[in-house]
Amino acid sequence: MAERNLDNIKIIREAVKQDLLGGRISQVLGWEKGHYWWQSRPLFARSEADLEKLTWDSFCGINLSRYLLEELKDHEKVGVLVKGCDARAFNRLLQDNMVKREQVILYGLPCPGMLDYNRLFEEAGAVPSGIAENNGTVILKTGGGDREVKREDVMLDKCRECVYPDPAAYDQMLLSPQGERKAAGRFKPVEELEAMPADERFAYWDKELSRCLRCYACRQACPFCSCRECFVEQESPRWQGRAYQPSENFMFHLVRAYHGTGRCIDCGECERSCPVNIPLQELNRKLIKDINELYGDYEAGLDAEAEPPLLTYRPDDPAAFSEK
Amino acid sequence: MSAALNENTAGWEPLIVSFCCNWCSYAGGDLAGTSRMTYPANVKVIRIPCSGRINPMFVLRAFQRGADGVLVAGCHPGDCHYTSGNYQSRRRLSAFKRLVEFAGFEPERFEVRWISSSEGDKFAEEMTEMTEKIKALGPNRKMRDARWQSVI
Repeated sequence: MAERNLDNIKIIREAVKQDLLGGRISQVLGWEKGHYWWQSRPLFARSEADLEKLTWDSFCGINLSRYLLEELKDHEKVGVLVKGCDARAFNRLLQDNMVKREQVILYGLPCPGMLDYNRLFEEAGAVPSGIAENNGTVILKTGGGDREVKREDVMLDKCRECVYPDPAAYDQMLLSPQGERKAAGRFKPVEELEAMPADERFAYWDKELSRCLRCYACRQACPFCSCRECFVEQESPRWQGRAYQPSENFMFHLVRAYHGTGRCIDCGECERSCPVNIPLQELNRKLIKDINELYGDYEAGLDAEAEPPLLTYRPDDPAAFSEK
Repeated sequence: MSAALNENTAGWEPLIVSFCCNWCSYAGGDLAGTSRMTYPANVKVIRIPCSGRINPMFVLRAFQRGADGVLVAGCHPGDCHYTSGNYQSRRRLSAFKRLVEFAGFEPERFEVRWISSSEGDKFAEEMTEMTEKIKALGPNRKMRDARWQSVI
């Protein structure tokens, strides 16, 4: 795996190098290694020297498409490495008219699912000195010897439930596709919550949302949160104050999730970036589930041409309230 | 509106905020009035141009500031003054209603109804029904902003 991965990185570097040095694009968005081996952070490559840092490993969970919003202000044309979720995020931005298709070159990277370093630490019992991967297993290198775990068990939550690991949009597919994954039970936690009595459910959310610092990292990471002015920063009417206020935490999270109705691509970046581990995906998935139930199956971001369910209607639509 | 906030006294009365579309439901309320029909004074009507104008944040803000129930009323589907406003709001508010229920609100707290301008009786009936349901449920404390409770 390690050697094959080096080959993969080489393929990716070669492909983007041609376009970057040939002048087709002025910047490539990719990943580079961070301070620790379990971190891969965004790389903004503008030169051949920058490209040397480009990496592709099991920690490239960060969704790069969202960075286009800023980068396209300074660049005519940008190249982006896209996994399955990054490509769906790109389609989302395209549908919101936040990017122009001709300003971007997408390099498709079929994604095997990214690893969660917290889970790796947990499995190893301490911070391992590194990992190796071998056909569906991860070998944790610890002081007390190697420990083998199933790859599935140490993946990020958002990747465990991923159904579309292959990019839905790309100009150039760089590696061989993974094929569609079997849909796991992504709505199961939602269904469990739905089965609770209302007061218990409120207590659950009250506890989870009380941790919210309102740092808005979930919004910053999110490909559907692309408004130039967000409601949380509006002065008049002022929806969100600066003091800690539980009801405003509810306001923020309900409205944030609601703004993703029929638009959330289920990439899980909000939950991954949350510093206090609020299960934000449960809110997003509740809306995905309901929209699918009420107005027909729709998977946001798969097809940029398909009409989002809240932008259209049918005269005979069902309703979640009495229409007598 | 502030009197209804006083929920510690024995004679607690619910506060119901009703957003009514200008063209149908608000006129329906007018008809109820001119026809001398009665409905509980717990309902405070806020006139909006169309049920499609409802931003779900209005509903949540009402709950924050003391509403025990919120009712959105609009024209029957097909009768919208702006052709499609209520078709749009049917989808949006259906998703939103399920979301507030998911957050832990009782289903009765937030309702949507279609009331036309000739349905004064229905207007009075729906307002009465909503008030009775909320009375049975008791005061809403979910999402209440504590700073507003003290402003009585």
